[in-house]
Amino acid sequence: MSIHIKDVSKSFGSFNALSNITIDIPTGELVALLGPSGSGKTSLLRIIAGLEEADSGVILFGGEDMTRIRTTERKVGFVFQHYALFKHMTVFDNIAYGLRVRPKKERPSKKDIQEKVNELLSLVKLEALADRYPSQLSGGQRQRVALARALAVEPKVLLLDEPFGALDAKVRKDLRRWLRRLHDDFHITSIFVTHDQEEALDVADRIVVMNEGRIEQIGSPEEVYDHPNSPFVYDFLGNVNLFHGRLENGKLLNGQVELDAPGIDSAENRPAVAYVRPHDVMIERESTAKDAVQAKIVHIHVVGRTVHIELKTQGLEQFLEAELTKERYGELGLKVGEDVFVRPNQLKVFIPEDYSI
Amino acid sequence: MKSRFKKHSILPGFGLSLGFTMLYLSLLVLLPLSMIFVNTASMSWSDFWSTVTEPRVVASYKLSFGAAFVAASINMVFGVLIAWVLVRYSFPGKRLIDGLVDLPFALPTAVAGIALTTLYAKTGWVGQFLSFKVAFTPLGVTVALTFIGLPFVVRMVQPVLQNFDKETEEASAILGANRRQTFIRVIIPEILPAALTGFSLAFARALGEYGSVVFIAGNMPMKTEITPLLIMTKLEQYDYAGATAIAAVMLIISFIMLLFINGMQWWMNRKFAHY
Amino acid sequence: MAGHVPLSYGSRKTVKKAAEEPLFIRVFLTVVAFIFLFLFLVLPLAAIFIKAFEQGIHVYLAAITEPDALAAIKLTLLVVLLTVPVNALFGIAAAWAITKFDFKGKSLLTTIIDLPFAVSPVIAGLVFVLLFSTHGLFGDLLFANDIKIIFAIPGIVIATLFVTLPFVARELIPLMQSQGSSEEEASLTLGAGGWKTFWLVTLPNIKWGLLYGIILCNARTVGEFGAVSVVSGHIRGLTNTMPLHIEILYNEYQFSAAFAVASLMSILAIVTLIFKNMIEWKANQHG
Repeated sequence: MSIHIKDVSKSFGSFNALSNITIDIPTGELVALLGPSGSGKTSLLRIIAGLEEADSGVILFGGEDMTRIRTTERKVGFVFQHYALFKHMTVFDNIAYGLRVRPKKERPSKKDIQEKVNELLSLVKLEALADRYPSQLSGGQRQRVALARALAVEPKVLLLDEPFGALDAKVRKDLRRWLRRLHDDFHITSIFVTHDQEEALDVADRIVVMNEGRIEQIGSPEEVYDHPNSPFVYDFLGNVNLFHGRLENGKLLNGQVELDAPGIDSAENRPAVAYVRPHDVMIERESTAKDAVQAKIVHIHVVGRTVHIELKTQGLEQFLEAELTKERYGELGLKVGEDVFVRPNQLKVFIPEDYSI
Repeated sequence: MKSRFKKHSILPGFGLSLGFTMLYLSLLVLLPLSMIFVNTASMSWSDFWSTVTEPRVVASYKLSFGAAFVAASINMVFGVLIAWVLVRYSFPGKRLIDGLVDLPFALPTAVAGIALTTLYAKTGWVGQFLSFKVAFTPLGVTVALTFIGLPFVVRMVQPVLQNFDKETEEASAILGANRRQTFIRVIIPEILPAALTGFSLAFARALGEYGSVVFIAGNMPMKTEITPLLIMTKLEQYDYAGATAIAAVMLIISFIMLLFINGMQWWMNRKFAHY
Repeated sequence: MAGHVPLSYGSRKTVKKAAEEPLFIRVFLTVVAFIFLFLFLVLPLAAIFIKAFEQGIHVYLAAITEPDALAAIKLTLLVVLLTVPVNALFGIAAAWAITKFDFKGKSLLTTIIDLPFAVSPVIAGLVFVLLFSTHGLFGDLLFANDIKIIFAIPGIVIATLFVTLPFVARELIPLMQSQGSSEEEASLTLGAGGWKTFWLVTLPNIKWGLLYGIILCNARTVGEFGAVSVVSGHIRGLTNTMPLHIEILYNEYQFSAAFAVASLMSILAIVTLIFKNMIEWKANQHG
């Protein structure tokens, strides 16, 4: 079922939690709402679920207006951040709950409920733990119970609030692959909230980047990562180096240094900021181009297959971070204290008018 | 030897603090309470049995247990209700009322006793509007016991409701349950252990209560005489053996109650440990 | 609730929430709770003060300044001074032993500390009669040395010690359990000794809980009736505490006088409640 969010706003007193949010989600898509805490992403998810009411705007499920429909009747699946499992019920009873509370004439028979729950238990690979209580499960197992419980009512829409937030790194990675596979099998339209950019890039079909109650950018993971349309998105999705300077003739100038500013033709002689990702910072022994900057290596640390190098540029007197593969690092034979040349491979320039940092 | 009794710790003062605690408890609690059993043991079984099953004594058990049970039940229902209202709703004067709930713990029992008697006597502020007698009847005893047990259930249930994850209720609603279903299937099971513990505490307190009851009960043998009062009466008649025998019965019941309460709390912690 | 709006902006607007009852049910439940609390708490409290002043301020003042009343007040204060510090000390020692160390029989010890709560006050008085009265276990010994405990002040103090024993310990044990021992361990590794660690680290951490326990202990000490009634002998001006004095006045149909003394104790009860709430508030603020 498709979801349309139109012009949704919500404020708490003078605080605008959400302003004019519009998102269209086609059937079967897996969308991530990505943003820092306080960006309004959880509020938006709770409004879609009907747990909270928007001040204005409309929520449509498959073209049907849901704005005034109560939570109980919206038939969404919702997975809470801290699972919200019923502590006094076994795993089995937790999953069966949504079926058992149906009005008598819609309620499946005992046998059907049993079958349905067993099916879900095998889907989440918890058959052996059906009689356990939530307090006897690990975090990852609880998360899977929460998911099975939400799926039991066969929702047309699945909403997940920071679904992997409370888990440790290893379990988190397994579960999100598993969620992705599950989604590919069932094609339930799903929205999940996260503040972890890696998680969003890894799992989602589309990412909605939110900040201070507004949408910054909507796009596929490649789009938002490779072509951020605002400094915020650039900054939020991964590490970044900043260069302040002035624009002149399509170049960003700062002292002796001259950097190409692609995509900016107008806006002569104005202050601007250039963004470069660490893995787009090239390190060379010799100066090969005029935009290469001399820099001194301050610190080197190796993390797994990648090597992080901290440098101090000579002209700009500022620190920057570069990321190399171990092979490239070996080829160059870099050492702390050496002078090298750095060159931005891909650079994005923003003019401060559009934003504030 | 020592290490087997106690796990190693670098903190000092174990011997001093435990020694003082044990000595104090032994002298002030264990030795005195054991006197009840020592003295009872010196009675012959038939003497003991006839003393504790005398009709007047049996009537007092019935009253004490019956009134304590009814009072604790009233407190369980209203205690849950008051806790619910205090935790979930906001209204003016809420903090004041929340503070007032502890009044029965702070107010001397004798003061509560005379105040309740004055209110519920035939001519009292409340009594005059009632077509039935309250003071000097078993109902009066129940009123006094309800007063002194009032805070137990409220104070047991309140923190449970406060820590109760609102998301759990939301999860229930999203899964299609209506408010009544959510209340019966999700909320009641969560607060039941706390409510039962509060009930047991109120019941145990009511069983032994003396100060507030003697004024309102009227203390008529066979009718409105509670067991603690009977012990008092026997003592005043220097019937130490009789008083001790009845006390032994009450003490055993209190121990069983205590075991029950501790067991329930242990079970509660184990099964529904917060994660 | 990452990403959710901060609490301080909490909306006062009443929107139809998924997890909330309809308005009329909320109003109904609140009203029922109010009526119950009014009948059982507010009305008795109001009755005490109104009855106390029924015959005018002169009768009231006379009742609380008469020699027997003053003697009862003095005796009650004496019992508080003797009882509360001892039980506070016991509470600290017991909580220290139970929460800072692991040893066998710990849960049994905790249960024994709770015993006085489970025992009827009348039985609490009775056991000391069995020990110290002339027919009691130590009766001959006490008689030979001309020491009087039962029907005298020592008996009242001992019975009160028994009844109020658990209050401080019960407050401190859960508090110190949740605090753990890491701060004390840190203090010891930094070179502070045992007593220094207790004064500088433990005591500041438990001060609110300790005060809370002391206040509850104090309220019970002042108000204890059953146990004291058994051991006091009701000698006017000598072994009558305030609650016993009230009983005598009430039984002699001096209602206004009885309620006058009762009102003094009620004021103390109210002050206790205010203190208790202040301490709870303070404790919450300090995390």
